[in-house]
Amino acid sequence: MIGLLLYLLVGIGLLVILWVLARREGAPVEGCGRQFVEARQALRTLQLGLLPENLIERIFDREDFRYVMAASPGEIGELFLQERKRISLMWVRRVRCEIRNLMQFHLGYSRLHVKLSLPTEIRLALDFTLLLLACRALRILLNARGPYGAGAVVRILTSAAGRVCAASEKSLAFLNPPALESFRHNSAGDGAAI
Amino acid sequence: MLSLLLWLAGLLFELLLLVRAVRTKTLTRYFYFYAYIFCIFAVSAGLYIGRSLSPSFYDAWYWPTQFATLAMGCAVVLEIVRQALAAYPGAERLARLASCAVFAVTFCYLEWHVARRMDWSTTNATVELERDLRVIQALVLATVLAIVFYYRIELGKNVKGMIVGFGAYVGVSLTTLELRSFLGPRFNAGWGDLQTLSYFFALIVWTAALWSYSPNPKPPTTGRNGTGYDALVHGTRAQLESVRSSLRGVARS
Repeated sequence: MIGLLLYLLVGIGLLVILWVLARREGAPVEGCGRQFVEARQALRTLQLGLLPENLIERIFDREDFRYVMAASPGEIGELFLQERKRISLMWVRRVRCEIRNLMQFHLGYSRLHVKLSLPTEIRLALDFTLLLLACRALRILLNARGPYGAGAVVRILTSAAGRVCAASEKSLAFLNPPALESFRHNSAGDGAAI
Repeated sequence: MLSLLLWLAGLLFELLLLVRAVRTKTLTRYFYFYAYIFCIFAVSAGLYIGRSLSPSFYDAWYWPTQFATLAMGCAVVLEIVRQALAAYPGAERLARLASCAVFAVTFCYLEWHVARRMDWSTTNATVELERDLRVIQALVLATVLAIVFYYRIELGKNVKGMIVGFGAYVGVSLTTLELRSFLGPRFNAGWGDLQTLSYFFALIVWTAALWSYSPNPKPPTTGRNGTGYDALVHGTRAQLESVRSSLRGVARS
């Protein structure tokens, strides 16, 4: 009976995968080129939009909340808290989205590399999955504890932002066509834009 | 009567496929696939002619010729792997490794399963061998498709048609063969009809998909020399670690 179920599972599973394949909409033909641009955008969004020190301070610092509570009635404070929670959740959602973009970028390039390693790819796939799950868990945590359960975020995220950007720049820079780099170095000293 | 009609229609479709392959000059591009079609055509035509000459001919030759077409079916799987991932050396390498692993694990499991059986007979063994080969084909196809989905690889109409047609035939064959083993001779009629219909469906899909040459969209060639993979992995890992530590901090605070 178990054998029957296994064989049926394989047979029907294959038919389901084929159904998905037949219905799949075409992935962008430019593929890697587009992912390259998206990875740069993801990096910029993380660097300039989501992880700057002042932004995270604005979202997670208790001072604003204290001020509102001191200066206005309790209902306004409640409303403020709800808004901050909404913003912090939106922040996590965006971070998750940018991690997904970086993941797409990695997949877009690694598929072209002859030296691609199976264990490394499996490990990275697990890492990305765990990170995305962590974002989901963080959303649950923020939902349960509110936006002000995250006081240490500012320092950690600010320092992490620098590392992320440095690593990403390094990763993306090597993919720039060498010819363009040499052209850049040989360009006129008056800063002609390339 | 219906099965006879489907048989003749199948022969016509196979001939049409081969003629179109010559006219569109895709015969050499998809050599293994068309070798499979030619093999099926020769076997079907031979069985049809033999059956009209002597009724016992079909029974005597069905299983031996079935094994020949089964073996050629493995060539179609190889053709699919080769064509679908040709432009993606990394993904192709991964597919090759994963397919070998799937083949080895499945083969060992099936061997172990057969060795444990007490009621071994030649009739059962022939049916089970076909079913087991279909399992391997199905799992390898599923693995390749998982890689295609994971790396978001775009397939052309020709290769997509090859996969859908062959996969549907393999999936239905596997399911019906197992049901036949489980339900016994009372499922024989249903098994024959379903197999014929699924093969006919595959022929229609192949004819439509391979009517004209439609190659896979080509990815850009940047970074294909393989020199940057380590740097890419290093960069991705560093990004992951940074973001992970940030999120860990948020979760703890």
